[in-house]
Amino acid sequence: MPANARKKRNVAALKHAVRSYPGFLWWGLGQATNGGLGFYVWMTVLTAIALVGANAWAHQVAQGMIVTNMTDHVSWGLYIANFTFGVGLAAGGVMMVIPAYLYDDEEMHKVVIIGEAVAIAAIVMCTLSVLVDLGRPDRFWHLLPVIGRINWPVSMLTWDVIVLNGYLVINLHIVGYLLYMRYLGRKPNPKWYVPFVFLSIIWAISIHTVTAFLYCGLGGRPFWNTALLAPRFLASAFVSGPAFIILVMRILRITTGFAAPPKPARTLIQIIRVAMTINLVMLASELFTLFYTGGAHGESAKYLFFGSHGHYGLVPWIWTAIACNLIGTGLFFMPDALERSNTRIAACILCIVGIWIEKGMGLIIPGFIPSTLHEIVEYTPSLTEWKVTAGIWAFGFLLLTVLLKLITTVFAAEAHKTEIA
Amino acid sequence: MTTDNASPQEPHDGEHLKPLLPILDQHSTRRTLLKTAGAALGLAAFGEALSPLMVIPENVSVDEFLQQHYKELTDEDKKKVFARLEAETKERFGANVTITDAKPIPGVRFAYAINVSKCNGNGKCMEACNKENNHHRGVDQSYIRVLEMTKGSMDMEHGSTTYDHTVPQDDKFYLPVQCQQCDNPPCVSACPIEATWKEDDGIVVVDYNWCIGCRYCEAACPYHARRFNWELPEIPAEEVNPNQGYLSNRIRPQGAMEKCHFCLHRTREGRAPACQEACPTGARVFGDLNDPDSAINYVLKNKRVFVLKEELGTKPSFFYFFD
Amino acid sequence: MSGWRGVITSVILLAMLAGVTATMQIRASSDAEDGGSGAEALPDGSSVIHEKPSAVSSNTLVQPETFPVTVRKPSGPPRVATNLKDIHGEAVTVACSTCHSTRSPNLQNKTPHSLDEFHSGMKFTHGTVSCLSCHNAADYDSLQLADGHRVEFTDVMTLCGQCHGPQMKDYEHGVHGGLNGYWDLSRGPQQKNNCVDCHNPHTPQFPKMQPTFKPKDRFLEQSRSEH
Repeated sequence: MPANARKKRNVAALKHAVRSYPGFLWWGLGQATNGGLGFYVWMTVLTAIALVGANAWAHQVAQGMIVTNMTDHVSWGLYIANFTFGVGLAAGGVMMVIPAYLYDDEEMHKVVIIGEAVAIAAIVMCTLSVLVDLGRPDRFWHLLPVIGRINWPVSMLTWDVIVLNGYLVINLHIVGYLLYMRYLGRKPNPKWYVPFVFLSIIWAISIHTVTAFLYCGLGGRPFWNTALLAPRFLASAFVSGPAFIILVMRILRITTGFAAPPKPARTLIQIIRVAMTINLVMLASELFTLFYTGGAHGESAKYLFFGSHGHYGLVPWIWTAIACNLIGTGLFFMPDALERSNTRIAACILCIVGIWIEKGMGLIIPGFIPSTLHEIVEYTPSLTEWKVTAGIWAFGFLLLTVLLKLITTVFAAEAHKTEIA
Repeated sequence: MTTDNASPQEPHDGEHLKPLLPILDQHSTRRTLLKTAGAALGLAAFGEALSPLMVIPENVSVDEFLQQHYKELTDEDKKKVFARLEAETKERFGANVTITDAKPIPGVRFAYAINVSKCNGNGKCMEACNKENNHHRGVDQSYIRVLEMTKGSMDMEHGSTTYDHTVPQDDKFYLPVQCQQCDNPPCVSACPIEATWKEDDGIVVVDYNWCIGCRYCEAACPYHARRFNWELPEIPAEEVNPNQGYLSNRIRPQGAMEKCHFCLHRTREGRAPACQEACPTGARVFGDLNDPDSAINYVLKNKRVFVLKEELGTKPSFFYFFD
Repeated sequence: MSGWRGVITSVILLAMLAGVTATMQIRASSDAEDGGSGAEALPDGSSVIHEKPSAVSSNTLVQPETFPVTVRKPSGPPRVATNLKDIHGEAVTVACSTCHSTRSPNLQNKTPHSLDEFHSGMKFTHGTVSCLSCHNAADYDSLQLADGHRVEFTDVMTLCGQCHGPQMKDYEHGVHGGLNGYWDLSRGPQQKNNCVDCHNPHTPQFPKMQPTFKPKDRFLEQSRSEH
């Protein structure tokens, strides 16, 4: 066939593909909302929680942030805590991408798309967490390039907006393209996704680094102003992300019979073992510097771990986190964790909870306590904040469920076709 | 309401494992119908849940929503904006006010100094600030916080802002802290949308109509100088200061950040800031850093001067000194 | 594929490094701009002329093109209460000289403690100066300087300034005693206190005060008792 004609045909095929992509999405939405009773109950419960959250947020916008328990002293709370954890979750998915694409791990290649789906849902949660933290969400357009007035590159927050949205777009593209190709029964063209996969690796690291820079770049907050913050963020992300993905794979196995091969989970657990150890070592060295040196710089840590001037608000939180992290790590090192066991599940849950506290309430809140004038004002989230946060998590799970449903349906259809063939 | 979603009782569903490749091979119409109903119901519930948001179109006019950044407003735009704000103040607070736009005086660079030997912590400056700047009366907010410090220590760890006894106490000294109008302001670097910036006379201002209320500047400020409007301020009509500046003491909207602006609506007209006039001890010195004969330069040349948290490199235009 | 590993790693590091460097450069350049404008000299030195109340003898100084600095003038010689009332019920006060012109001063009285007939119980915490360090024995309706020169009550600042040189110097430079009105005298006048507005000459230490205004912080509702 003359090269010219072949090219023509390719172009025609591409045109057809582009045109039918919305059709594919529509079909996917239909498939993703099919399921049994359990599925509908799950979706209904999540929708209900999301509605409660949306309602609480709407009230917050109407009445002002006064309905939260944040103050001029502790000006960020549960929302930003969740945001920080969510970024870690999103970045953690890269620990599947690296083995799959850089080390050509064939089996990981088969399930890597789950990590990318988790990343998409997590990023959407992060964006929502920031949105609900805004005092004037109606002025959101001020943040947009061209029509707004974005203070780039000086403001770290603009970097964060860019990298988070960029990461979302990259992952949407990768997941969308790969699924669409599978749906069409065609082999994905590496040209259209491999460069983006490599970009997503850099990007995953950058989202968490930039998020850490948000905090550690503030000279007035000694608790955050440490060079170890970004590495610690990455290390803990490489625990919470993979741990979450392992849980997701287990749930998929139970609910949809989507059978992931055993090797990827083992690889993830090896990664978790290393990352968690590094995380704990860095935590220990941070604590050594703070407590051995003493002085005003250690005051936040003192408040966090032992309480200060009669205030003990975060002490139970942080020791729960430490206990969860230590026990979880211990469990991960048991040989049992490499098998499909309850030990593995317990370890994942413990580490996720531990890191959620350590990077959320245990990192954001003590940055403000004592305040820059060394006043101690404590913070406990208000009911509104809990409702909104629960709503965001519910929406994240809703999105993740739809994505996973779509993925498993496409995969199942392909498997079915292979069988027929 | 949304529980209707769960009503389609289809115990098992082998169907969805059938070949699906023919596009739009959807399931039974009954299911599609139910799903559509569920989606509609969900959307309706979502709309209902978000209904409190309807206060936004009630309170935020289209003009306000579309208002550009202060620096992009022409004189004509400003006229309209100020007229709108004056009308809104009349409507919401019942007060007739005039909003002006005092510009920096060319060649002037403001600085402030506080005599720590004199300040006795009586708090008159906070009161004057509260009244001058139309602060929320409900919380008696002001831009100043006075720390009662223990003699022999500059460690704020030993300070307290909640003291409530005769002053000065023999073993204490007093440190009023407000915006330090830094030359290297961390808050300005932090702001993602340039809603806060440093003007030519050194004053760091906020465009209250541009701020999105992310509070990153509040986290970045090492001096606890910024205040957030957690709710709409309440001020009795007769207490509203009618002499208002767009970038300074006009009544701030809910959800925006604010901060000390050296009373620029006064100081740019040559008048002393309210806190200085109110100080009964004469501890406050204000003036032009560029004028070699100014009071502030006399302090810098003749007194033992320090700035707060100098090690952070913020380069404050706010000084403290001892006699 | 393994070659990719090295490439990717270096790309990651380079991208991060480039980002950080760009940010730092921009911050540094904005610093430089700030520094530049800070050092800017006055375009025209004459536009802002600061006037100093350099002499206390004249209370109002006016210079061309500037507004005056007014020092509040103390009221004249004090009147002494007699505890008597006139037919209108008004308190009867007398000038110092009413009594002092008929009695010669007892030069033995150096401190209020030895005053047993008049002025007894007066509080005095002004160092070790004696009554006649300031009061004029030749004319009790006036004061006297250390060199014996007469000075009016209204010009009391000249008297105070003899000993309190540093305070006087600060005052003259606008750094003592506070002010009202305009910091910029090319735009409006300024009013200042005189010494005895704030300092009682017999007990000159600034009085103790009770703070009347406190922010009602939200958090205080929970923890006022604790901190």
